[in-house]
Amino acid sequence: MIKRSIVDFAYYLKTSNNYQATRRFIYNLLENSSYKYKKYFDLFMITLIFISVIILIREVKSDVHEYLRFFSNYVISIIFFIEYILRFWIAGSVSKIIIEQNEHDLMLGDKFQFSHALRDIIRLKLKYIFSFKAIVDLLAILPFFHQLRLLRIFVLFRVFKLFRYAKSIQTFTSVVASKKFEFLTLMIFASIVIFVSSVLIYVMEANNPNSPIETLFEAVYWSIVTISTVGYGDITPATPEGRVVAMFVIVAGIGVFSFTTSLIVTSFTEKLDEIKDLKVIDDIAKIKNFYLICGYGNISREVAKKLVVTNKVIILEEDFSKAEIAKKDGFVVLNYDPGSISSYQKLQINLEDQVKAILCLSNSDVENVYTALTVRSFNKDVFILSILLNKSNKNKLLYAGVNELFYEKELVGVIAKEFVGQPVAFEAIHSLRTNFNGIDVQEILITDRILESFYSVADLENKKYRIVLLGIYKKNKQRFFFNPIDNTRLEIGDYLLVIGNSKFLKEYKQYLNKKGSNDRN
Amino acid sequence: MTETNALIFGDNDFTTEIEKSIDEHYTSVNVFSLKEGAKNSFDLSDDWDELDAKYDVNNCVAFCMLEDMAENIFLTISLRDAFKDLIIVALAEDKESENKLTLAGATRVLPTVETTANVIVEMLVKPIVTKVLHEILYEKSALKIAQIKVQDHTYFDGKYPADIEWSREHGIIVLSIVHEDMSKEFIYSTKAKHHLIKKGDVFVVVGYEQDIKDFEKLLGNKCD
Repeated sequence: MIKRSIVDFAYYLKTSNNYQATRRFIYNLLENSSYKYKKYFDLFMITLIFISVIILIREVKSDVHEYLRFFSNYVISIIFFIEYILRFWIAGSVSKIIIEQNEHDLMLGDKFQFSHALRDIIRLKLKYIFSFKAIVDLLAILPFFHQLRLLRIFVLFRVFKLFRYAKSIQTFTSVVASKKFEFLTLMIFASIVIFVSSVLIYVMEANNPNSPIETLFEAVYWSIVTISTVGYGDITPATPEGRVVAMFVIVAGIGVFSFTTSLIVTSFTEKLDEIKDLKVIDDIAKIKNFYLICGYGNISREVAKKLVVTNKVIILEEDFSKAEIAKKDGFVVLNYDPGSISSYQKLQINLEDQVKAILCLSNSDVENVYTALTVRSFNKDVFILSILLNKSNKNKLLYAGVNELFYEKELVGVIAKEFVGQPVAFEAIHSLRTNFNGIDVQEILITDRILESFYSVADLENKKYRIVLLGIYKKNKQRFFFNPIDNTRLEIGDYLLVIGNSKFLKEYKQYLNKKGSNDRN
Repeated sequence: MTETNALIFGDNDFTTEIEKSIDEHYTSVNVFSLKEGAKNSFDLSDDWDELDAKYDVNNCVAFCMLEDMAENIFLTISLRDAFKDLIIVALAEDKESENKLTLAGATRVLPTVETTANVIVEMLVKPIVTKVLHEILYEKSALKIAQIKVQDHTYFDGKYPADIEWSREHGIIVLSIVHEDMSKEFIYSTKAKHHLIKKGDVFVVVGYEQDIKDFEKLLGNKCD
């Protein structure tokens, strides 16, 4: 009966929109670095940490107001405690484990094994409790019990909580962690040198009345100060034997010091590109409406150069040297394979929400087909445009799911034809397209706002703005109506194709929208 | 165009497309390949006598379509050196070779990368405009683009282009007017507003075939 209720409750939680939405919100706030409000939460927590530490420092030599002490000991501790509990909550889903266990048992025809589910839940939660970050979180709450004076020092553990919120600290830790083996070797070497030299100096100096080294602790202290190349000089060996040991420790110290420095520098150099990439990935997660160009070559460069003026562009290029060239050209580039699903997963790009169009502009039809198929395998809707290099591959690209194909050789043929047939007309169209002399051809979308005041072509008053209406593209009929008659009705989704001076076009667009708002008033 | 022969230099996909597109404009379209042993082969040795004897090269249009830009520039300069009046249309890969080809004497340069990039960007940013302009240019719709030379300006005597209701009175849209002195003005520009229509001006118009023909009758002959 109880087991049944537990399973029912788990299903209830799993299907409750409110519960799931709250849980998702908490998760995003605490763990999802691409969530837009997380940085505010992190800033808030960092501020609390610094307030605690400042109060602790102030307390050492001065009196702190009771309110401040209360704030540090109780308010901040309670906030940290709530955070700890929330993190505990989102560390794995209990309802999911129960449901999975129930379904597993049902499938095998067994009764629901609650003990198995409980075991998994405990394992999962313990894993969180004993994680380094959770331990730090717990220690940071301890100053709550401020009556225990020793526990006050745990305020300092709050500083370690910065690891959670400051990304650069995480980066530094990950860089150092990548050289774990080297650092371990170095530590073992340094420990052996310290141990041997401490024992040696103790043996050589402890019985000498002129020597300041009297205990083994002092010997270890001297060894560490010397090997670290700090050398305070408060303790110095007095015997020739002791000085020989000192020379040995000094030489070893130089080795340890330079090895440590070079280790950190090397690991940073090795990880620098990765760190930069991670930063770019982070930034990309926040960008909306960008064009994703797959492959970098001559055409990609020109397309990116033109698009980047008014749009955001991101380039995916597998080849390292080409990616470097793109970076030098000033574009946002990611050295990832556009033909691999894992690239998109790592980049955390949401094609539906973030990408306006994917442009397959690689210098090979094979690669473009592969990229288009890769994208289509996990997204059916995103707009894909591809160049076609060899006409025989046209169908392959279309089968791969490309929405729009562009065959440059055919274009050159058409241009040549226009040039030899009607050079003036060709020049006119070319000039229009390149915004020659400030004359532009633009499309204006008819929105409900425009439609509130403009019902038909006669209402448009384009002549007043010296704008020529080339025609209307009727979305519902998918047809272009050239030079439409005055009583042609306008509909939402239609496009007006207009030609005119760019400045006048801008004013005309404003006029179309402004009049609508005036009428509403 | 008074030229009757087209000479295409190069043997590649560009050549095929150009040959297909310009076929109807010339009495003969001749493709020459750099490959030895090809039916119509040529080399870059500067010896054009045989070709000139056969085609009267100065009255032809030459298309330099070699994919190797260094060779294409060399071919262009070589043709220009030999034939001062020859119309040369040359293929350029990028801006750099476009400039070099112009310096080498090409009459018109077709920059492939730049044009491709332009059209791709237009397809993305102004999809409807691109679609409509392409249909007109590619002759996929009933709409035509035409250039018409004013032979008889009496009909428009004393009128400014901006004062005429082209679309309502003639069913066409005038994109631009090229004056006899070759200064190009769009009809929407301020300068064009103050330019009286004269004999020798060339109108670039868009419209349906019959409307264009009627308009031609008013002005004179279509420029071919």
